[in-house]
Amino acid sequence: MRRLNVLLAVALSLAAAGPAPAQDRARSKEVVIALGAEPRTMLAVTIVDWTTNAQLEHIYDRLLDRDPRTLKPKPMLATGWKIVNDTTWEFTLRQGVRFHNGEAFNADSVKATMEYLQNPANKSHYAAYWKLVKEVQVVDDHTVRLVTEKPWPSLIDRVSLTDFLVLPAKALRELGPAKLAEKPIGTGPFRFVEWKRDERLVLEKNPDYWQGPADVSRVTFRFIPEFSARLASLLSGEIDIMKDVPPHVVEAVERSGHAKIRAAVSSRINYLALVNLKPGPMQDLRVRRALNHGVNVDELIAQVLRWRATKICGPLSPANVDYAPVECYKHDPTRAVALLKEAGYDAAKLQLTLDTPSGRYPLDKDVSLAIAAQLQRIGIKVNVVVNEWGTHLDKIKNRNTGDLFFLGWGPSLFGQAVIEPLFQANQTYSSYGNHAAFDAKIAQAITLVEPKARAAAYAELQRLAHDEAAWVPLWQQHDLYGVASHIEWSPRADEKVWMYEAKVARP
Amino acid sequence: MRAYLLSRLAQTVLVVFLSLSAVFVMVRLSGDPVLLFMPMDIQAKDVNEFRERLGFNDPLPLQYARFVGGAARGDFGESLRYRRDALDLVLGRLPATLLLAATSWLLTMGVAVPLGVLSAVHRNTLLDHAGTVATVLGQATPGFWLGLMLIYVFSVKLRWLPTGGTGTPAHLVMPSIVLAAFFAARIARLTRSAVLDVLNEEYILTARAKGLGEARVIGKHTLRNSAIPIVTLAGLEAGQILGGAVITETIFAWPGLGRLTVQALLNRDFPIVIAAVFVISVTYTLINLAIDLLYAWLDPRVRLRP
Repeated sequence: MRRLNVLLAVALSLAAAGPAPAQDRARSKEVVIALGAEPRTMLAVTIVDWTTNAQLEHIYDRLLDRDPRTLKPKPMLATGWKIVNDTTWEFTLRQGVRFHNGEAFNADSVKATMEYLQNPANKSHYAAYWKLVKEVQVVDDHTVRLVTEKPWPSLIDRVSLTDFLVLPAKALRELGPAKLAEKPIGTGPFRFVEWKRDERLVLEKNPDYWQGPADVSRVTFRFIPEFSARLASLLSGEIDIMKDVPPHVVEAVERSGHAKIRAAVSSRINYLALVNLKPGPMQDLRVRRALNHGVNVDELIAQVLRWRATKICGPLSPANVDYAPVECYKHDPTRAVALLKEAGYDAAKLQLTLDTPSGRYPLDKDVSLAIAAQLQRIGIKVNVVVNEWGTHLDKIKNRNTGDLFFLGWGPSLFGQAVIEPLFQANQTYSSYGNHAAFDAKIAQAITLVEPKARAAAYAELQRLAHDEAAWVPLWQQHDLYGVASHIEWSPRADEKVWMYEAKVARP
Repeated sequence: MRAYLLSRLAQTVLVVFLSLSAVFVMVRLSGDPVLLFMPMDIQAKDVNEFRERLGFNDPLPLQYARFVGGAARGDFGESLRYRRDALDLVLGRLPATLLLAATSWLLTMGVAVPLGVLSAVHRNTLLDHAGTVATVLGQATPGFWLGLMLIYVFSVKLRWLPTGGTGTPAHLVMPSIVLAAFFAARIARLTRSAVLDVLNEEYILTARAKGLGEARVIGKHTLRNSAIPIVTLAGLEAGQILGGAVITETIFAWPGLGRLTVQALLNRDFPIVIAAVFVISVTYTLINLAIDLLYAWLDPRVRLRP
């Protein structure tokens, strides 16, 4: 009995040493978010990575934000913008904003940020995004002009993404990028406290935030790679928010009483590429159309994803500013077989290979296997090859995949970022190309500044992609978050996990 | 002794160099390192510019020469993913790894050796059979399953222990148990058979015949004589726990070396892979050296010759 008491005492003391329970955090308005990986740097505009930016956005602001509902650009560090001429954009900057170190935000900050990311020595991934920007002109302290090499309408879309988080000019000069990569300084709603590699990133509320202080006092990001362990932490009350709850555990979370599911229709799309960049049956338009008739997307959404996806029929989703509706190919197996016959293929003798990643997109492998089963019903034998992620990308780059491959793309909020890299033969991850008229249209669309002309050009591109049956478009992913019951927060289509928008109810 | 040590250390350098070279060739064969850490929506020529700047377009022998030159100075380059010195990142994970390895190793030895001895001494009794069942279970239970079950029971249901992470002794409990379960099973089985062998020796009979207590017979005469195989396996396992606790580290979000290395492999972050292999192989060979020295101390018949 005495021994049992000792054991019990040890267990209790260990438990007491554990992390602050959920009620304590609610009282002090702390939020703990579990992510699968840690940030790759603390320096803004250096490394393109969703996980990194989801955390950096708490520390740094952008010139423009996006309205969470309409996803249209709206003021943030810039209060307004106008097009001076085809190659010049003018931004009016907010006055009285200060960085966490007290340094004033002004036109110099914008110029220094652009110069930092464009300097080859800094090896910023963002240099590729901004290479059309020739110069940043400081008009006065609170007015800057971005001058581009040629007309570039998507500049405004890039500005309102994480592609331009603003750095402090003076600190950048005096401390240098390496120091800022360890201890970041931004204008954002939260300030940096500590980063323990592979463990946690801790931020605290910036009381002087220009939009007013956040309701949340402290944000901790914890890095838990295993999904089941993330889920267990949510159910045990150790964390408050987790991303990517798989559809099959949604009920378990809802039933737990500690947390609820919050879903957003993401701007990230999934599609089945029909590869015409290598010899094979996909060279033939009729075969590509036949596959569009043969795959039953509605059935995949219902049976595999349990309705946690929103069907798309063209290359852009409605969350994309350049979206125009196109008609879906009807599920029609008879038509599919007839089209194949017309192209000289006997469906019963056709053998295709489908390359898929596993675990990169929601149920990607299961979807690929289900597609193979659907095509089997009209006689086509599909061999599904499951790849490790790096191999999958290598195969696409080297045009080494089978006739079909599964891929996701996003968050894709403007047309250029989808159409340009995915429908031209000379692009890394493209599956389709060598269509002269299509190429010419793309080259034209990405330079049209006038809104009506741009809309018409992108509508035509989407119709072309549909008519050419370059893909079997599948769906927009639904992002599923587990959120502790005492936290009020709605996820967004642009996948921004921003705790400035969260409210914590005191117990 | 000094000559022996010197020659062993020279061998260590050779072993480490050869394993680094082998790993260098293997990771280079695994695919393009640049594609994986670049954004997907940029032009092929921009990606190639990075490849050029980082030297991945150079002929492989030249890259190898550069690598050897750097490695000789302890410079394994900058992590491709994190833009930080690779060796720094690896060494930063070492304290957490050592802590977990030491705890689980002590737990392993503390449980397994007594269990093995008890089983051997009470051979073919209920106790021995129970021990056999326990060790077979321990070896057959996959670590990820045991880890998730422990989390479910002790974190989600009972709320006694944190699901993962570090910070307090409580964080160490479940990961060390999961790691120890597998290794303890092996050690216990080996201890049992090693002790049984010795128990059949005539000098044990003599010891008993001259009226020595059972505690001394087992503790002094038997254990010391059956120690060599146990120490060998324990040393090997210590090495394995250091670099191979990947699954445990992943499930319990433990910021260790194994997790970093495997992630780096999947991301083709070569500098980290090489730096990690360097640290692990150095530790491994040093542990082996320590064990060989221990042999000589345990069994005076063992002679150390260079």
